[in-house]
Amino acid sequence: MAEPTRSYQDVKIGDALGPEELFLAKDQVRAYARTTGMWVPRFTDDEGARKEGLPGMITPGNMSLALLSKLVTDWIGASAARLVRVGTTYRQPVLPDHTIVLHGFVTHTNDADRTAEMDIWIENEDAERLVIGTATVQFAKS
Amino acid sequence: MVDYDANRIGRADEVTDPGPVTAERVAGFGQPTGESSPLYTDEEAAKRGPNGTIVAPPSYAITFRNGRQFFEHIPRFGRQGFDAGKDVEFVAPIRPGDTITLSSHVKEIYEKTGRTGSMVFVVVRSTLKNQNDETVAHVDHRFMSRT
Repeated sequence: MAEPTRSYQDVKIGDALGPEELFLAKDQVRAYARTTGMWVPRFTDDEGARKEGLPGMITPGNMSLALLSKLVTDWIGASAARLVRVGTTYRQPVLPDHTIVLHGFVTHTNDADRTAEMDIWIENEDAERLVIGTATVQFAKS
Repeated sequence: MVDYDANRIGRADEVTDPGPVTAERVAGFGQPTGESSPLYTDEEAAKRGPNGTIVAPPSYAITFRNGRQFFEHIPRFGRQGFDAGKDVEFVAPIRPGDTITLSSHVKEIYEKTGRTGSMVFVVVRSTLKNQNDETVAHVDHRFMSRT
């Protein structure tokens, strides 16, 4: 599929990012933990996580941020723009072996600096927002 | 009100040893999160892209961490802490061949009371620089403990 291309002028408040649904497998979370040096029980082993008072192994917050960043960079695609900021708040654990949905929408555009602000978040199967955040995309000067 | 040494705020605590960035690590990082853009893996495609070379996905910046000794200097409150969130400013691309150092300090400490009780947040600001002393990212890490 060709990457999207959009100019700053194409961006409108309310434009949606995603939604992108994905099944977050435990092995996928473990692969992220291994790759990023976070091989600790809470991210790799249900029993080990429960000993820390968690319901089972959880997804690293960094991985949630990475998934939301990818949502934004996929939206940018081949546009002359780049992700300049992302902020996240982890409200509830993101449990692996569940389906999550990544969402976003444009909340603000700034003509002076050609930026678009957006709300981004991760929902679980019950439409609860587990991770919330914002992102800023900077479009190139024309 | 929690008790802590206000002199901790703003004081630089650690600069890490340089961490290398390799093409293999960048490609490996992208796989678990489904990063498939050729800008991160394909030299020819990356040459035609906005950066002229392969770059790491933006979130690669948060994989650089402080050493264990850094956290010995972080004020601790109450029970075990959790990662409450991050604010990341992506200043410049990180590329294979770069070496990245992390300089960190305690930026802010504050309390909040919510539905589940009282919480203390410690915000650590990390600045990432490459081998040319160019800033590539700023990361504010928010750690939460329950009192």
